[in-house]
Amino acid sequence: MSEEFGFFLLLLSNGVLIGLMYSLIALGFVLVYKATDAVNFAQGEFVMIAGLVVALAMSAAGAPLWAAIILGLASMVVFGFALERVVLRKLIGRPVIAVVMATIGLASILRGVGPTFFGAGTKSLPLPISDEPFVIGPLFIPPIQLLGAAVSIVFITGFGWFFLWSRKGIAMRAVADNQQVAMAMGINVERYFGLAWAMTGIVSALGGIIWGNLLGVDVNLSLVGFKVFPVVILGGLDSIPGAVVGGLIVGIVENIAAGYIDPYVGGGTKDFVPYVLMILALMIRPYGIFGKRIIERV
Amino acid sequence: MFHRESGVLKTTYEADMALYPLPIARWTVAALAVVFFAVIPLALHQYYLSIANLVWIAVIGALGLNILVGYTGQVSIGHGAFMSVGAYTAANLAIRLGSPWPVNLLAGGLMAALVGAVVGIPSLRIKGLYLAIATLAGQLIIEWTINHVTFISGGVQASIDVPRPRLGSYVLSSQREMYYFLLVFVVLAIVGTLNLVRSRIGRAFIAIRDQDIAAEIIGINIFRYKLLAFAISSFYAGVTGVLYTYYLGIANYEQFQIGVSIDYLAMIIIGGLGSILGSIFGAFFVTLLPIVIRYAMEAFGGLFFDPKTVLNLIPNLRLMLFGALIIFFLIVEPEGLNRLWRNIRNYFRIWPFAY
Amino acid sequence: MRQVLAIVTALALAGSLAASAPSHAQSKGEIVIGMQCDRTGATQIVGTVLCPGFHDYISLINSKGGVEGYKIRAPEIDNEYKVPPAVESYERHKKEGAVTIAVYGTPQIYALAQKLQEDRIPGTSPGFGSAAAADGIRYPYVFPVAATYWSQGTAAVDFVKKQLGGSLKGKKIAYIFYDNPAGREPIEILEDLSGREGFQLRTFAVPPPGVEMGAQVLDIAQRFRPDFVIAHLFGGAPAVSIKELKSKGYPLRKVISLVWGSAEVNIEAAGGFAVAEGYYTMQFAGVGQDYPVLNEIREMYKKQGKPAPKEMASSVYYNRGVFQAAVHVEAIRNALKAHPDGKITGVDTKAGFEKISNFTLGGLVPPLKITSTDHEGGGLVQIWQIKGGKFEKVTDWFSAYPDVIAKHTKEAAAK
Repeated sequence: MSEEFGFFLLLLSNGVLIGLMYSLIALGFVLVYKATDAVNFAQGEFVMIAGLVVALAMSAAGAPLWAAIILGLASMVVFGFALERVVLRKLIGRPVIAVVMATIGLASILRGVGPTFFGAGTKSLPLPISDEPFVIGPLFIPPIQLLGAAVSIVFITGFGWFFLWSRKGIAMRAVADNQQVAMAMGINVERYFGLAWAMTGIVSALGGIIWGNLLGVDVNLSLVGFKVFPVVILGGLDSIPGAVVGGLIVGIVENIAAGYIDPYVGGGTKDFVPYVLMILALMIRPYGIFGKRIIERV
Repeated sequence: MFHRESGVLKTTYEADMALYPLPIARWTVAALAVVFFAVIPLALHQYYLSIANLVWIAVIGALGLNILVGYTGQVSIGHGAFMSVGAYTAANLAIRLGSPWPVNLLAGGLMAALVGAVVGIPSLRIKGLYLAIATLAGQLIIEWTINHVTFISGGVQASIDVPRPRLGSYVLSSQREMYYFLLVFVVLAIVGTLNLVRSRIGRAFIAIRDQDIAAEIIGINIFRYKLLAFAISSFYAGVTGVLYTYYLGIANYEQFQIGVSIDYLAMIIIGGLGSILGSIFGAFFVTLLPIVIRYAMEAFGGLFFDPKTVLNLIPNLRLMLFGALIIFFLIVEPEGLNRLWRNIRNYFRIWPFAY
Repeated sequence: MRQVLAIVTALALAGSLAASAPSHAQSKGEIVIGMQCDRTGATQIVGTVLCPGFHDYISLINSKGGVEGYKIRAPEIDNEYKVPPAVESYERHKKEGAVTIAVYGTPQIYALAQKLQEDRIPGTSPGFGSAAAADGIRYPYVFPVAATYWSQGTAAVDFVKKQLGGSLKGKKIAYIFYDNPAGREPIEILEDLSGREGFQLRTFAVPPPGVEMGAQVLDIAQRFRPDFVIAHLFGGAPAVSIKELKSKGYPLRKVISLVWGSAEVNIEAAGGFAVAEGYYTMQFAGVGQDYPVLNEIREMYKKQGKPAPKEMASSVYYNRGVFQAAVHVEAIRNALKAHPDGKITGVDTKAGFEKISNFTLGGLVPPLKITSTDHEGGGLVQIWQIKGGKFEKVTDWFSAYPDVIAKHTKEAAAK
């Protein structure tokens, strides 16, 4: 196998694994949008706060990993419920810019809260997996990426099953479809909203742990949130399989661009290309590959 | 008391439709003009004038964004990028061709308007959240382009020094001189916007915001007016960028990143969407907020925390307060400071009567 | 009720504004240094450690009676690594009568260069900023006072040359950098040297925020396979680069990082000293606890009954803060010696900076020699390596290829 082809495979594998990790974060976004029609511009900051909780629990309180993870999950669930109750419930029915700005404001608050209560230094989030990569032929697979991809697949399948087959999941889809009819059918809409945000909290906690291990936990961790947009636009804002497909596309395209186009342009295409793709998608097929909602055309 | 409309009668259409038909309103505007043109610049120290200059720059930008978001209902997170387009156009013209600042200003504004119209093209097919994300992409792509295309960015450093503006041979460089320079443009912007929203174009914008399908049916060409809204708003943004460049003496792409776009959105939300006075209030508020926080913390922070923590706390507090205020205004007073002001004004309008 | 609350809050804020309005001139017997820091922005990992170092040195000087009898005051303002707050803080410092400004951040020193010149107040940019500003004639009021990115670039190439046996002909060097103006600055120097020394240079840009560099590292580790990597990253990126290079199979002992990827916090964020074994770092101030001035600072804290601040353990950035403060104090000292009546202005402190010569602060500072033409002071750096769980000094102070730097400085001045 030629060296170039080996490199290509490397890029591809890196792209697939990173793409699945993006999907994990995009999942949080999709869950909220699917259930409540709310757009979460603070997704990155959720991941950051979750990572900070887990990292601080381990380093300052010396808690063992499993305890820290449970603490992280629990606190994000509480946070999700609380957020819905205090802020988002009051914004139901308002135009989209209101919810967008509310989550942007929330993002700002979290970015200030993080360093204030958790300290500004970058904390590491050690996981019991080695740093040395698995070597399979020409491929170098870092264990953390494998873990991230695995977690991503497990939870995406889990949530997918939840929405399709479980009672609560179907109820949530009903609420997302038409709140008033759902209420008329006896579904407690507000409780399901809370549940949706709690689920985002769980997913963010997982994302925080995985990405926190990869990048180190500090305020910059919130910047992974920006990757969410190309992923969900390509895949469909309210589609869980779309999050997977979108993530894969973005991950692969980024890596291929960085590997092959960067040398000619002097770098930086990695960030640029997914957004160009996204704009094309918006023009041609705004609801994404799998999205079902109808966007009003004018 | 402030707006005694009784006894004011007009005999011609022009008089009735004038910008300030009531004599009391005209007196108020004249008094404000005296305060802002004469009292403030002569009485205040350089440092306070420098803050005022930052506010004036923000006012122009906020007015522009409000035209697009508040009056036409198109969500845009790309304002910072349009400012940078204007700034770099002007800087490049100033350095490469040595053209005088009026030419640069106009060119910067027009270039930004062009780019704005291009970014606005998706608005013809998508609305709401999707449009917001498209403008976000536009912002990031423009940032990347300026950063990497050395023809525009003037080299590896992506920052261009511009010479100070001159009137004939007089160079404007002190804060006081800058104050007058900027104030002129602020007045032009405010008067221009006031007239724009009262005109046919303005009414078309409002129609598009409220009920765009109905607007199309009654004959408003949505295609044209949406692009026009983006173009006009970006023109304001471009002018803001150029003025900011002249104020600082340097154009640097790191000044116009996504944080700036979000700041301007915050300004118009806190100030009040769809109102000119709201844009002005919002610009004042958001620009002064970090400064006030710092003063307050320095005066009172010592009471609660030890000095080291205070230093670490001030900037984070600004972030937290900024976000909290946005959410507060969204939940409690969605029409922003403008509504608060109207409430006060209406109370005094008929005071001492209750209704 | 809401209205009442609003009015009370407004009055309280107005009151605090009036109460804490800063003085319009320095009070008698006090010299003001205007200090900027980044405690919440992209480089907060540096600022939250560096700035306490600055403050501690000032406290030390004041505790010993000040400079020539005058106390120093260094009000700090956070600029969030953004330009508008930096400009606003500069105006405020000017109002408080600052005679020197410790600027923080490359875009900030660019933005302020013209203003510093107009107002005739010197500003420093140690280890960052515009490399062309080393030219004291073109930029009379900007003082890099430490190795600029160009000097760091030449020193790195020189170090690599020595590591690779004295010759770079036919060798490959990869330059991985943060894709912003500061990151790009050394490129022209590196390209020049690659032609001169005959090595193949490839650059790998990491787009901000610098957390995602998988493909670039893959390229370096598996396709380009250079003989050495020069890394110029900041903020959270250095830690990520260490982990990525390691996980993709590139040995860290063939990596040298320029000054802002070289601190304890970067290593710890990467997972600890054990993970980063072999990594080479470039420093422009001393590393570690073993310096007389640091002992004095610890003594000072002990006398106050307080333990040494935890930032001291993060010695790389803390020591740089001390270094920065020390250089400012020296300039003020020189200015006061020339004007014992204490009425000094920015013009006097500028002259004070240009008199600094052979100032080493017990080895913490390289032997600086700042003149009216050379505001950089020699461009000296040291290389320290992560070995056995801690920093180990590899070289002493050195600088390299001064002719290349002089050539580029002259070209920049001509523009």
